[in-house]
Amino acid sequence: MMNNNTAKLPHLAKPFPVRSKLMEILTTTLLVLLALTVIVPLILPFMFVFKTRLEYNYHPWSFPTEIRWVNFAEAWKAIQIGKGLLNTLYVCLGAIVCTVPVAAMAGYIFARYRSKITEVFFYVILAGYFVPVQMVLIPLYQLCGAMNLTDTLPGLFLPMTAFGIPFWTIIYRSFFAGLPNELAEAARIDGAGNTGIFLRIMLPLAKPATVLATLLVFMGSWSDYLLSLIMLNSLEKFTMQLRIAQFMNNYGVDHMPRYAAAAIIAAAPTVILYLIGHRWIIQSTLAGALKG
Amino acid sequence: MNANVEVYTMMYGKEKKKSRDWQTMLFKVIMLAPAVAFLAVFMYYPIEETFRLSMTRSTGLGPTVYIGFQNYIRLFQTEEFLIGLKNAILWAFWSVVIQIPIAFFIAFSLSVYKNKITKPLRVIYYLANVLPSAITAMLGRFVFAPRHGIISSLANKFNWEWLARIDFLGNPDLAFWSIFAVATWAYSGFYIVYLMANIEQIPKDVQEAAQLDGATPWQYARHIVIPMTSYALRIVSILCIVGSMKLFDLPWLMTTGGPGYATSTLGIVLYKYGFVNWQYGRAAAVGVVIFLLSLVFTILQFSLQRKDSDAL
Repeated sequence: MMNNNTAKLPHLAKPFPVRSKLMEILTTTLLVLLALTVIVPLILPFMFVFKTRLEYNYHPWSFPTEIRWVNFAEAWKAIQIGKGLLNTLYVCLGAIVCTVPVAAMAGYIFARYRSKITEVFFYVILAGYFVPVQMVLIPLYQLCGAMNLTDTLPGLFLPMTAFGIPFWTIIYRSFFAGLPNELAEAARIDGAGNTGIFLRIMLPLAKPATVLATLLVFMGSWSDYLLSLIMLNSLEKFTMQLRIAQFMNNYGVDHMPRYAAAAIIAAAPTVILYLIGHRWIIQSTLAGALKG
Repeated sequence: MNANVEVYTMMYGKEKKKSRDWQTMLFKVIMLAPAVAFLAVFMYYPIEETFRLSMTRSTGLGPTVYIGFQNYIRLFQTEEFLIGLKNAILWAFWSVVIQIPIAFFIAFSLSVYKNKITKPLRVIYYLANVLPSAITAMLGRFVFAPRHGIISSLANKFNWEWLARIDFLGNPDLAFWSIFAVATWAYSGFYIVYLMANIEQIPKDVQEAAQLDGATPWQYARHIVIPMTSYALRIVSILCIVGSMKLFDLPWLMTTGGPGYATSTLGIVLYKYGFVNWQYGRAAAVGVVIFLLSLVFTILQFSLQRKDSDAL
C-alpha cells in the first residue's frame, strides 16, 4: 500500500530529510573523530617505542631519529608473553572442550526430551546464569585448594566452564528446539538409537551454535582477569593477562618507550585475531545477545 | 489410547518397550549429568558456602565461629565498604546517563547516515570492546599517567602548565572519572553494536513513512527510533547496572581502588577482604551483597521482558 502511494505521488519522494547533506557531513566527521579516539591509544605507542628514554624525555612528539628494537626486546623479556600465550591458549582450549559438549548435551535433552523432571533441571541450570562469579570467589578458592587444583590451569578453566554452561545450555536448547523433527524420526525408524540420533544427525545440524559457542567461550577465557588472579600464584602458570598486569605493577609508566613496547606486544594478539575474525565476532556476539 | 498401548504391547512385547524406556531414561541421565555435576560442584556448593561463611568469623586457618549477621552489620559500619557501595551506585547511574546516550547517538547516526566512510566504523568501535581489561587498563594508564602519560606529555609540549599538573589517577576527585572515561571507551562498543542491530530491525515502511512526513533526524530518533528500541535500551541499561555491581578489573588494574578508597568498588572490597586480609567471613558477606544487588536488577529485567511479550 505504501509503495502504491509513493508511486502515485512521485514529487513526495524527495531525499530523506534525515539525510540532509550538511547534517550528513557533520555527523560523519563527528563519527570519524569518535572512532579515532578508539584507535589513537592503540597507534600512539608506535610514536614512542623506537626512542630511548632520554630521547623520549626531551622530544616525546618528534618522529624517532632511529629505529631501535631494544625496547621491544626488553618488554618481551619482562612480560614473557610467549609463555603467557601458551598458558592462555591452554585455558581457552580447556574451557571450550569442557563447556561446549556439556552444554550441547544438556541443551539437547532440554529441547527434545522434555518432561517435568527435565524442566526442573533446566531451571536449576538457568538460575546459574544469574550468579556473579564475584559472589563465590572465596569458596571457589577453598574448593580448588581441597581438590589440589590451586595454581593449576585446570583449576582456572573448570570454574570458568561451570559459569559458562548455563548460557550455552540456553542457546543450545533454543537451537535444538528449532530443528525439524522429521530427520530424527526417519533415523529412528531406520533403527538409530538415542545416542546415534544425537551424534550423527542433531549435533551436525547444530553447527552454527557450536561455532558461536566455541568462539565466544574462547574470547571469554582469553580476556579473563579476575579468576586467573585468584587461582594462579606462580609466575610460571601466569596467563597473558596476568603477565600484562604484572608488568604494569612492576615497571610502571616511568620508562615510557618500554611501556609503549609492552602495550603493543600485549594488544597485538587480540587486535590481530580481531582483524581476522571481526565479522564473526560481531555477528556471534549479537546472536548471543539477541537470543539470551 | 489404551487400545494403542495394547496393540503396541502385542506387537513388540511388554519387555521390549520397557527396556526402551529404560534406555531413554539412562540416555537422559548421562546427557544431563556432566552439566549438573559442573554446576553442583563449582557453583551451587560454593554458593551455599558463601552464605555459610558470611555468617562466620573465618580466616581460612583458625576455627570458623558462627557469628550470625555480625559481618553484615560490621560491613555497613565500615568506611571502605560504604564507599565501595556508593561508587557502585554512582558508577551505575553515570553509565546509564552517559554511556548509553553516547552509544545510542553513535548507533543511530551510523544506521541513518550510511555511506562509505561510516560503514567500516562499526568494526572500529567494537574493537575497544574485545580488548581484555588488562590491556584496556594498560592503555588507560598510558593516557592518564602523571608526567609521562599522553595527556601530560601533550600539555607539556604546548606549555599548558595547568593541564600538565593534573594527576588524573592520583587525585581522589578525578580518579573515578578517569577510570570511568576508560570504561566508556572500552564498553560503548558493545552497546553501539547491540543498539544498531535493534535500530536496523525497524521495518522499512516506518522509515519511509517518516520520510514522507518530512521528519528531521531529531524527530525521527525521538518519536520513532527511541520508542521502537525502548526494550533494547532497557536491556542495555540493566546490563550496565549489573556490570557496575560486579566491577573489578579496570579500577583494580588502574588504581587498585585508590587513592585511599576513592575508586574502590564492591568487587575490590571483596578481593581485599578475602585475598589481602584473609577475612573470609566478611568477604563472603560482600559477595552476598553483590549477589542480592545484581539479583534485584536481573529480576527487574525479567519483569520488563514479561511486560514486553504481553504487549506483543
